[in-house]
Amino acid sequence: MDETALIQTAQHGDLDSFNTLILHYQDMVFHTALRILGDEDLAADASQDAFISAFRSINSFRGGSFKAWLMRTVTNACYDELRRRKRRPTTQLEPDTADGEEMDSPRWLADPSMTPAEKSEADELEHAIQHCLDALPTEFRTVVVLADIQGMDYSEVATAVHVPLGTIKSRLARARLRLRECLRSFEELLPSSFRLEGERNL
Amino acid sequence: MNNFRDIEQLSSYLDGQLSPSESERVESRLSSDPELASAFDDLRIARGILRKMPARKAPRNFTLTRKMVGLKPPLPRAYSVFRFSTAFATFLLMLTFAVNALPRLSFGAAAPAPVAQEAYGVGGGCTTGCGGGGPESAATEAPAATEAPVVEAPSLEGAIAPTETLSTASADSAREVGTPTPEVSTLKEPESESVLQNQAQVHAEREAVVPVIWQIGLLVVGLVSAVIAFMISRNARKKWS
Repeated sequence: MDETALIQTAQHGDLDSFNTLILHYQDMVFHTALRILGDEDLAADASQDAFISAFRSINSFRGGSFKAWLMRTVTNACYDELRRRKRRPTTQLEPDTADGEEMDSPRWLADPSMTPAEKSEADELEHAIQHCLDALPTEFRTVVVLADIQGMDYSEVATAVHVPLGTIKSRLARARLRLRECLRSFEELLPSSFRLEGERNL
Repeated sequence: MNNFRDIEQLSSYLDGQLSPSESERVESRLSSDPELASAFDDLRIARGILRKMPARKAPRNFTLTRKMVGLKPPLPRAYSVFRFSTAFATFLLMLTFAVNALPRLSFGAAAPAPVAQEAYGVGGGCTTGCGGGGPESAATEAPAATEAPVVEAPSLEGAIAPTETLSTASADSAREVGTPTPEVSTLKEPESESVLQNQAQVHAEREAVVPVIWQIGLLVVGLVSAVIAFMISRNARKKWS
């Protein structure tokens, strides 16, 4: 995929070129939105809004990292969604189990490449991490999602959230410390392969 | 206990964001400070867990349709031509209405003068109670009114004053004369002639404006162009979608 050529044709209004870019980035965009928002439906809405917004403002892209530019649109869409949710809080429709835990997502369990034990472990890990991510302030969460989950470098994250590099470093360090503290309380719940002690050998 | 500056530096070191000299300094501190080494492990573990987090795939495709982004179909050149002719015909049509209305408006503004003159001459200038008229008719008072300015003219000072002066003068003179004078009919004739002349002038002016057939023509051109432009636009949209 020649990304630069696709961007240029998209800038001339070619929707098909932009749709090719969407197909390439949509998983990453959705995953980012999901980790920031913590809700699948909201993340899907935010992703769609982000792509619409990105197409409309594609001419404002002046080169550099397209991924960082796109992530900026995504984080803006997520912030909008969070503001909307703040104004109109919703109740979760997903049923809880008898002990108050959320039921496992059927979509997650349906993944054919994993054994039931692995699915259970991965699900527990995901819930624990998402819980800790949700406990972070939004600006910390966004930075840690982009840097540690999406693997973007500092300058890309700075472009995406539109703050100086020094702020990114500071927010990332704080977010990692808070996450570490939060995950410590989930240590017993985490599957053995994800125990924090095991990570020391990474 | 490490301060936050150390933590921030460790985090940057973990991501390889420090310069070689800074990295060397951090490494030497890590080897000599167990507390700092423990904090570094915490950061590394947190990052490791996040990196191991399973990536979720998009539940559906987010590809965009033209409708979603509000794109309009490319329209042929003929569309612009017909759209312009619609606008131009409409403008001309409005202009013809304006041109037709103009003489009427200008004459309407000039019209009160002869009417007032007429009323003045006939003696009806006094709209509210001419006072002391008694049983005499307006026609009876008229000659006195027309004569009055001749008598009273030197004493007139304002624009409104003549009406009252004339009213009293006409009433007085009517009382003095007692009977209608024979000049009434002879004085009324030139007035009515001037009114007729004015009306004829107005009629002539009315006939000089843009003919109705032109207006109808412009209307037809405007409507036909609009319909054609609409059809072109609709066909383009159908083809596009």
